[in-house]
Amino acid sequence: MDFSTVELTADQQAFQREVRAFLDEIVTEEVHEHERRTGDGFDEGVHLALGGRGWLFPGWPVEDGGADLDRVCQRILALELAHREVPGVTQGTTRLVWSGLQLSADPELAAELKPEVAAGRVRFCLGYSDPEGGSDIAGATLRAVRDGDEWVLNGSKLWTTGAHNCQYTFLITRTDPEAPKHKGLTMFLVPLDSPGVEIQAIRTYGGERTNAVYYTDVHVADRYRVGDVNAGWATLQGPLSNEHGGGRIADGLEDLAGGFTYTQAFDRAIDAAARWAKRTTRPDGTLVADDPVFLDRLGALVVSTEASRVTHGPMGRNKASLSYIAGIAELIDMVGPEALLAHGSDGAIEDGVLEFAHRWAQGTATYGGTTEVFKGMIAQHVLGLPRLNLPGSKQWVR
Amino acid sequence: MTDRFELRRQDFRLDEDQQAVREGFGDFFTKQVPSSLVRDAEPLGFDADLWQRVVAMGATAMALPEAVGGDDATLVDLVLVAEELGKVVAPVPLVSHVVASRLLARAGGADELVAAAAAGERVVTLALQPVGGTNRQLVPDAAVARDVVAWSAEGLTLHTLAEPAAHVPNQGSTPLAWFDPAAGERTVLVSGPDAEQRFRSAVAEWKLLTAAALVGIADSALHLGVEFAKTRRTLGVAIGALQGVAFPLADVVTEISGARNLVHKAAWYATHEPQTRPDLPLAALVQAAHAATEAAWVSAHTQGGLGFTVEADISLFFLRAKGWSVLGGDPGSDRRQIAAALLRTF
Repeated sequence: MDFSTVELTADQQAFQREVRAFLDEIVTEEVHEHERRTGDGFDEGVHLALGGRGWLFPGWPVEDGGADLDRVCQRILALELAHREVPGVTQGTTRLVWSGLQLSADPELAAELKPEVAAGRVRFCLGYSDPEGGSDIAGATLRAVRDGDEWVLNGSKLWTTGAHNCQYTFLITRTDPEAPKHKGLTMFLVPLDSPGVEIQAIRTYGGERTNAVYYTDVHVADRYRVGDVNAGWATLQGPLSNEHGGGRIADGLEDLAGGFTYTQAFDRAIDAAARWAKRTTRPDGTLVADDPVFLDRLGALVVSTEASRVTHGPMGRNKASLSYIAGIAELIDMVGPEALLAHGSDGAIEDGVLEFAHRWAQGTATYGGTTEVFKGMIAQHVLGLPRLNLPGSKQWVR
Repeated sequence: MTDRFELRRQDFRLDEDQQAVREGFGDFFTKQVPSSLVRDAEPLGFDADLWQRVVAMGATAMALPEAVGGDDATLVDLVLVAEELGKVVAPVPLVSHVVASRLLARAGGADELVAAAAAGERVVTLALQPVGGTNRQLVPDAAVARDVVAWSAEGLTLHTLAEPAAHVPNQGSTPLAWFDPAAGERTVLVSGPDAEQRFRSAVAEWKLLTAAALVGIADSALHLGVEFAKTRRTLGVAIGALQGVAFPLADVVTEISGARNLVHKAAWYATHEPQTRPDLPLAALVQAAHAATEAAWVSAHTQGGLGFTVEADISLFFLRAKGWSVLGGDPGSDRRQIAAALLRTF
């Protein structure tokens, strides 16, 4: 057990200074303004600049496009990126898809893509959810039919966040409608500039942009198939288990909390409310920060973040998301109507951080699979409870 | 509260010695404390014979400084012991006793008593609320301890009674007793601001170890519910397959996981950097108390009417989840201190 501060070597200290100086330069106010306006979770300038330093895959060897950073320097970089709220959704999906490609893609294709991915010029999004499927990814209906050396795709996907900023989508398709549900799926890496691909924006009240992507007679060469035909479920499991908190390294440096980005967002709102309480008086002239009722409620929220911070894996994801959703609603009440003033409004608290946090929290219970999907996983895999067999558990029910 | 983006290790892994402590005491408590023993010790909540075996295991001496014959075990070791104790709701006053004897050993001036406490011959405890005027207060384990450490404006004072105060029957079946600050022979050990500081940190230690015990209670309570849900059938399936039954249990294990790690993290800070995060033991107790009461209620309810019967072992855990956690007073007071600690950083 060890929670000590990490003693940095001279080289690591120099690296920390270098990261800070570089990010000061590239993560400008315009980057944040762009993010507020677009909700893209991506900034091309920042992404390419990070890629240019080898910092998108910082642990990779320099010759592969990485920066060969040791674990401490990787952690320094991750903390600085988080601290500055660098938009990282597409970076995250690219990383996730790469872990699947590395395992299962045609080695020649992977070798071709690797330097481009490292440089930031090639990015990936997730083509997982069918419009009627939601978190039931294995229920995919988007059809892929073989046609010589090609495949023809027809159907649609929802929640393909970042598609308009990516070159490929990692797509789950139905290749054998007669096989059991999980045995008729095949994964593809589909070039998004293929004829027949249409990307339509969907806006969330969390301020994000995601997409619906429509596939009409889209022809894809067989070399873009990832993994064996009808082995799509196994192909997808690698990166999916990564998304669900697996694949992290328990060396005491990495953040193992399954929902640490959610907790960081909640922390920012709590900190803003705490500063507000210290400078704001009630009509009777007393300071909000001296009000024991306010303190009691704030303390409860702080405890929930402290617990979220140390709850690992899928359980941590649920704890962080559900504490954030319940807690931000409470925090808004504690502050009152000022809390709902948006960025740019007269009197908005710290540029509207509370207002934003309240909206953004709501999506966290769905990202990467709903909290209910995770509860099912926890029940089965942590508690050993029996799996519920429903008509669509094993069979593909249309 | 520290910089949120400070570069710190987040290593929750137990080393070999810590694993040995956990396994050793886990085996001990599991073998020595069947639920029948817990029931037989009611309503007082003290089994003198078990206490002697706990002493023989070294639990009372391990956490004392080497200078007074202890092993200098850390709070990290102690929380591991306390969790195992909580898993079987062992009817022994170990948490109060260890905290009070550590306080006495560090304060000095009561060497004989500390030696007797280490040997388990005398049980010592701590009044958790400051003494104000002549107000009496309920003190955990005071029904089996005739030595009570208390803090008042006068200083940190050892109150030695001719015999322990009368037991007051209570929902958690703990050796609770009224403590009268005027009673017994009084020895001021430390006075001034130092006395208050020592008292506050002892109370935080008590809360941390109680939090650990509550994690144990929560864990066992959950286990009873999960096992029931695996075997009880309805509509042709095990009830645990139903989401209405499974999801609350999944929520409970999530809360317990956070509580356990928060207890461990708080114990590490209290051991290695006591000034950095004085709020963590309080947060650990608030979280663990919540996890334990939630685990006990959900588990009891999973077992339906059976979970509401006295014969069901879940009753032992339900009654103690609140019966142990509330001894430290209203968690609202802890929450206010936690919030105040955050506000001080801005």
